[in-house]
Amino acid sequence: MMPVLEAKDMMVFYENAIAINNVSLGCHRGRITGIFGANSAGKSTLMYTISGIILDVKKKEKMRGGERITVLGKLIYEGKNIIYMEPSMRAREGIILCPERRRIFNESSVMENLRIGGILATRDQAKKTLDRVFTMFPALKNLKRREGGFLSGGEQQMLAISRALMAQPKVLLLDEPLLGLSPAIEEVLTDAIVEINREMGITILISEQYARSILPIIHYGYVLENGGAVLEGNSQELMDNPDVKSAYFGI
Amino acid sequence: MDILIYGTVNSVTFALIALGFTLVYGVSRIPNFAHGSIYVLVGFLTYTFINDLNINYLLAVFISLIISSIIGLIIYRFILIRLRGLAASEIIASFAVGLIILEGLRLQGIGGFKGFIGPFYMLPTFIEGKISILGVFVNYQRLIIIGIGVVTILGMSIFTHYTKLGLSLRAIAQDEHAAMMLGVNSDRTAMISMAIGSALAGLAAVTILPLGNITPEMGYKVLIYALAICIIGGLGSWWGAVFASFLLGFSMKISTALFGAMWESVVLVGGIIFILLVKPSGLLGKQKEFEERV
Repeated sequence: MMPVLEAKDMMVFYENAIAINNVSLGCHRGRITGIFGANSAGKSTLMYTISGIILDVKKKEKMRGGERITVLGKLIYEGKNIIYMEPSMRAREGIILCPERRRIFNESSVMENLRIGGILATRDQAKKTLDRVFTMFPALKNLKRREGGFLSGGEQQMLAISRALMAQPKVLLLDEPLLGLSPAIEEVLTDAIVEINREMGITILISEQYARSILPIIHYGYVLENGGAVLEGNSQELMDNPDVKSAYFGI
Repeated sequence: MDILIYGTVNSVTFALIALGFTLVYGVSRIPNFAHGSIYVLVGFLTYTFINDLNINYLLAVFISLIISSIIGLIIYRFILIRLRGLAASEIIASFAVGLIILEGLRLQGIGGFKGFIGPFYMLPTFIEGKISILGVFVNYQRLIIIGIGVVTILGMSIFTHYTKLGLSLRAIAQDEHAAMMLGVNSDRTAMISMAIGSALAGLAAVTILPLGNITPEMGYKVLIYALAICIIGGLGSWWGAVFASFLLGFSMKISTALFGAMWESVVLVGGIIFILLVKPSGLLGKQKEFEERV
C-alpha cells in the first residue's frame, strides 16, 4: 500500500549546517508513525518541513538577509509533490501541525482558540468536533472562558491538540506533545492520541524525545540521530532493539 | 458639562482616527505611516466626487471608501509585502507612500490639475444644524461622529471575535506561525487588514472632515494623533487604543479649558513621553518590541 504522506531523500540546510540529512519516511493511512530522537536530532525541523512552516521561516530570513535555508528532496502527499506548497495550502489539504511548546493563542479564550482552529471547518464539522473534543478532554469544558495564557501546561497541550483537530486534519502532526508534562497528564494524552487514531481514523505522525509512553502505541517508527534516520521498524522491533533499550528505557 | 460633551466628541474622533492604524499594526506588525495620507486623500476624493462630478453624497462616500481600501491593498501588495518584518524599512516605505500622496495632492500644473491648496475645501455635513444638550449647543455632525464611532468600535470588536475572517486576523496577530499551521494565509490576511485599516481611515475622514477645512497638512497631524494614541494605549491593542483616545480626548479638552488652546500639543507629546518613561509597552500593551520599532 502506498503511504499517504511520504518524504523522499529530504534534506534541510541552515547555511552549511545540515539539519535533516537524506531522510526518507512514510506514513500509512490510519496508522500512527513515530519519530524519536534526542534534542537537535532534527525532529522539529522535520515537522516544520512537512507542514511547510520552514518555507515561511526561509522567506523571512531571506528578507532580513539572515541565514540561508535550503530545502531539498520530495514530499509526496496523496500522490503529489508538495515540498514547495505554502503552509496554509497544506493545512487546507489536511496536513495540520500541533507544534512543539503548544503555541496557544495567549490572549484568546479557550473557546476562541478552538474557533480559530475551526476556521477551515464547516459549521457542522466544527460543532461535531467540538463535542468530540470536550468528551475527550472534559477538563477543557470548565475552562471555556479562560484565556489561553492562563492555562497549565497540560491543559494547554490538550487545547493545542483540540485546536488542531478542529481544523479537520487528515494527517495530524504532533510535535513533542508530552514535553514537560506530568505522568498523569501523559497518560490522558496518550489515551487521547490512540482514540484520535483508532476512533476518528486520523493518520498521525508523532515526534517525541520521551519514547517510553509513545513507543507502545505506534505502528511504525523511525529513530533520528544528527538529522538522519538511523533506525526504523514497527513498535515491537524498536522496543526490542538493544540501542533503543539502552537509550530510552535505561535497560 | 461643556467639557464632558466636547471631550466625548474629541475622544471618539481620536478613536476613529487611531482604530485603523492599530488594526493594521496589531495584525501585521506594520506601522502604517501612510495612514494620515489616506485619511486626507479620502477627504479630497469625496470632495471631488461631490463637487466636480456631481455624485450623490452617500454614493460619493461609498466610492471613496472602496477606493481607499483598494489603495491599502495596493500599498501592501506591491510595497510592504517585500519588507515584512523589517521594522525600519516598513516605516520608511509607508511614510514615503504617505509623502507621495500628500505632496502629490499639492502638486500644481500637471494636466490642468490646480492642486489642493488653501482653505477652500469642505465636505458637507450629513445633517445641518445643532441641538442643545443640557444647555450646551452641539452640531448634529458631532453627534453623528459619536454614533459612527461607537458603532465602528463595537462592530469591529464583534467582527474580530465572531467571524472567520476576524478570527484569522486575531490569530495572525498573536502567533503568525501557529495561525499558518491552522490554514490561515498570512499575506492575504495582512492585505485584508490593510484594506480594512484604510477603509477605517476613510470612514474617519468622511465623518470628521465636515467639521472643518481639508488641507493636505492635516495628514501629518492625523498620523501623529494615531501614533500618540497607539503608543499610549499600547501598540496593537484594540481596547488600549479606545481607552487612550478617551484619556487623550478628555485631557486635551480639560487642558484647553484650563490653560488655553496652545497646551493641546504639550499634553499630546507630554503624554507620549510620560508613557514611554513609565510603561514603555503602553497602558494595555502586551509586547515590548515596539521600543525598537518606533
